[in-house]
Amino acid sequence: MKLSAFRKKSPWILHYNAGGCNGCDIEILACLAPKYDIERFGMINTGNPKQSDILLVTGPVTKRSRERLVEIYSQMPEPKVVVCCGVCACSGGVFRDMYNCEGGVDQFIPVDVYVCGCGARPEQIIDGVVEALSILEKKTKAMEETVQLKNQPVNEGTQLNRRNTAAAIIQPQ
Amino acid sequence: MRILLIVFAPVIGGLIVGFERIIRARMQRRIGPPLFQPFYDFLKLADKRKMMVHSSHAFLGLMHFISLWFALAVLLLGGDLILVIFLHLLSTSLLILAGFSTRSVFSHLGANRTAISVLAYEPVLIVIAVSIFMLTGSFTAASVFSYPAPLLFKMPLAFIALLLILPIKMKKSPFDVADAHQEITGGVELEFSGIFYEAVFTAKWLDYIFCYTLVYLFAGSNVTLGIALIGFVFFFTNALDNSTARVNYKQMLRFSLAVSFSLAFVNLIINILL
Amino acid sequence: MQLSLNSLFIVPVIVSGLLLILPSGIARILITITSLLLAALSLYLFCNIQDTYFFSVAPYLNEVVTAFDILLLLFFGWLALQRKNWLVGLLTIAQLGTVLYLIMVLPVQDTEQFMVDKLSAFMFLLINIISGVIAIYSLRYIEEEDCSPFRRKYFLSILFWFIAVMNLLVSTDNLEYFFLFFELTTLASFLFISFRKDEVAIANAFTALWMNQLGGLAILVAICFITANGYGAITFTNLLAHASAAGILLPLALLCIAALVKGAQMPFSKWLLGAMVAPTPVSALLHSSTMVKIAPFMILRLSPALKDTPVAMVVIALTGFVFVAAGIEALAQDNFKRILAHSTIALLALMIMMSAIGSPLTMVAALTLIMFHGISKSMLFLNAGILERVFHFKLASDMDRLGETGPFTSLVLTIGFMSLLIPPFGVFMGKWLSIETLGAFASSTKLFGACIIVAVACGGAILSLLYFKVLGLLIARSGVRDKIRFEKTGVVYSGTIWFLMGLTIASTLSLPLLLINCFVPVTNEILGTSLAVVITGWNLQIGAITLPLLPLLIAFFLLPGTIVAAMFIRFNNVDRVKEYTCGEKIDYSFSSFYFSTDQVTRYFSAVGVLFFVALIIVAVF
Repeated sequence: MKLSAFRKKSPWILHYNAGGCNGCDIEILACLAPKYDIERFGMINTGNPKQSDILLVTGPVTKRSRERLVEIYSQMPEPKVVVCCGVCACSGGVFRDMYNCEGGVDQFIPVDVYVCGCGARPEQIIDGVVEALSILEKKTKAMEETVQLKNQPVNEGTQLNRRNTAAAIIQPQ
Repeated sequence: MRILLIVFAPVIGGLIVGFERIIRARMQRRIGPPLFQPFYDFLKLADKRKMMVHSSHAFLGLMHFISLWFALAVLLLGGDLILVIFLHLLSTSLLILAGFSTRSVFSHLGANRTAISVLAYEPVLIVIAVSIFMLTGSFTAASVFSYPAPLLFKMPLAFIALLLILPIKMKKSPFDVADAHQEITGGVELEFSGIFYEAVFTAKWLDYIFCYTLVYLFAGSNVTLGIALIGFVFFFTNALDNSTARVNYKQMLRFSLAVSFSLAFVNLIINILL
Repeated sequence: MQLSLNSLFIVPVIVSGLLLILPSGIARILITITSLLLAALSLYLFCNIQDTYFFSVAPYLNEVVTAFDILLLLFFGWLALQRKNWLVGLLTIAQLGTVLYLIMVLPVQDTEQFMVDKLSAFMFLLINIISGVIAIYSLRYIEEEDCSPFRRKYFLSILFWFIAVMNLLVSTDNLEYFFLFFELTTLASFLFISFRKDEVAIANAFTALWMNQLGGLAILVAICFITANGYGAITFTNLLAHASAAGILLPLALLCIAALVKGAQMPFSKWLLGAMVAPTPVSALLHSSTMVKIAPFMILRLSPALKDTPVAMVVIALTGFVFVAAGIEALAQDNFKRILAHSTIALLALMIMMSAIGSPLTMVAALTLIMFHGISKSMLFLNAGILERVFHFKLASDMDRLGETGPFTSLVLTIGFMSLLIPPFGVFMGKWLSIETLGAFASSTKLFGACIIVAVACGGAILSLLYFKVLGLLIARSGVRDKIRFEKTGVVYSGTIWFLMGLTIASTLSLPLLLINCFVPVTNEILGTSLAVVITGWNLQIGAITLPLLPLLIAFFLLPGTIVAAMFIRFNNVDRVKEYTCGEKIDYSFSSFYFSTDQVTRYFSAVGVLFFVALIIVAVF
């Protein structure tokens, strides 16, 4: 049996709020609480990127949090998957195009699963994570490129939507 | 038998951890992870990309596991109790040093707290060892394993003292200040990842075996009682873990020196006088 | 035998005189040769001494000793007048009065004044080897000192004179001679501490002076009582012969006070802490091989008489208290030398306690501690000097990343601290033996013994916390620089340090041999017992205690080996990642943690005084 088979049996979660309203975070915590009991899949909420496999991001990416998001993502050892929780994380949601938000996680780091909803229901989150597991199993240990804000460094004053830049880098894979 | 126990200590410890996670889940009316969950975690960690902060840090973590295994072996082979306590202390010290060796805030916090928890439980263990010496006339664990009457009935207070410091050693609530996951994200073990984290991860399993062997000492040569004691301590620590919140490190130090230590001390005096 | 003994006493004195006049080039050669010679002589003596060896000196020397006594006291009086220090003046007058009284009362001494036994030879070994290394080290250190060329010579001169006095002190039997040498060490420490001549140095020197004078006075009063009680000759041997005589407790208690003052036990710990202002080789000298080691030496000498008396009990209680208290005080310190000083006081307390208990095994523990503590502490202090001179810092919290800027110094400091803490280094073995023997002690003294065990257990835990703290600072690195390149600190510095480091490791590995050939025979001679050491397979049996050698050997490679290896080992093909800081990009500055212990420490001196009062009360009644 290959070692990669065990990835989906023990996915450890890192949860990062990139500036959301906390609605999705509450739902994520509900997943871990006795009612939904996400631990039965072997999941642990570690709070530590160095030992995690799944990055659960909530909230639109604010300007303050975007570099932290990339930093934390890059500290996770491969293989790893990213799950966007809630519509804000997927596309910016109601915050999209606001002066302080970048909108959408996938501009900065490669996202594997999008879980929509405002806030995402616990069942959806679990479904999304289970979906992420099958992706995780297929991933390799090769280093993944992050979109490290290097193409177009952001100045405080300019608001750029870098979704297209990000897509251009992720697509060739 | 003992050799087998030493060789397979990590495996048995892993099983205990797996079982414990189920029990804890059931106490919270959950289903909980499968029994072999710790091993799945182990195998998954082996498959991650190798990362480290720097070599010294990674190496110290690795050696923490090996020296802990060594301390456990000395204990199970009936070695000198004082030596065992010091060896265990020093294997913990390697972890503390690993924590201090990085430039990470949480690691430093965790290392400080681990050092303080060592201060909280080490004197108690030494006093218990001396009490055992008063009864059996020898410091070796071998003399305890062959002691006819169970120590539990001769030194019940020492057993209670041990019971109260075990949560510190096993890193369970209310005394899990050393690797408070929600607070300092694991403390010392934070900076370990992938294959290097395995060592620290499995060292915890060894620590379980170490703690339960200490409990087993109180049964003397009575195997049934020993297993019953281990079972009791198992349920006690998990119930305690589930039902209490974390205290801060000062409260822990104060409690352990005021209550556990005085209990052990009173027990020592009783043993000397009788 | 006689010749080598005499040369141990006389050579350092001659060298001391020559150093004042010789040019520095020749002085260097002279010091190196003398150090080697003294070490060789002490080694020769230790190997060849079989029985206790008594010898007397020419009778006119008695008058000379008395004359020196008075001259010395007059000098102290002059110092007191000059600085208008009434405390010193008062003590000098008291001492002078007692000396004059003794001159009138004391019968003519016709016994041998000197006695050399294995204990003395053991002390010779410690004093001459360690002090020799320190003398060679001082050659370089004092060159960099900011003072006149004559004062540099003067410093080295006192150093050798101090070695001579120490050699004499440990081989004296006669208490009057002992008093002279005792006060001469006091004088030496006074001159050393006031060497830098600033306000703080002189104030601290006077503190050291009056505290040690108190010890001298105690010896004089003890002599008075011995004469008054009619025990005959004022010698240690005679005192021990009267071990069960009525009224013996008071002189014993007074001698214990003298020892405890020299050993810097609370409340007299201030003088040793104040001695930090002197150049670092002085600290190394005072802390490791000379001065403070007089305390356990005196108690070891007296232990056959002291054993199981109420006086011994009070001494044990005091040292038990000091062991914990000094550890607690150390936790609040940041100055590197002060941390070392507090740990010296704590470990001295343990040595004195073990000597005072006086059972064969505790004596072995005490001797083990004396020897290994001497080696480790001299190494650490000499390194503290290097930290000041080469790296320019004094605070422990400045040591951050020393592992990268000064890997060699950091390595040596690490080994030094480990040798005070980690099995199977000697100090650990001493601590371990202590706890094991205290078990037997507690079963005979019941409640009291239990309290002592508790004190040792707590003190040990506190000291380990302290050492972890410093070791943690030493091992810290950022990982930016991966290559280890030892820094160059000069031949003298690195040579002495290499030697001491080698000595630490070699003596640790040869611990069973040392036990068989050194510690146990010395103990047997002091107590007249026949404690045997047997090696069966991988076990070393001393009396009732079994030391498992195999686990200790494995522990040696596993624990200290790991920490040293951690500095050098490099994993290839592993990706590096930054420390987790919640994604923030801030450069943190790291230092050490401290405890605020003021709430308790302010009472320690008072408690110490209480113990000293109790010592007298117990002895009188």
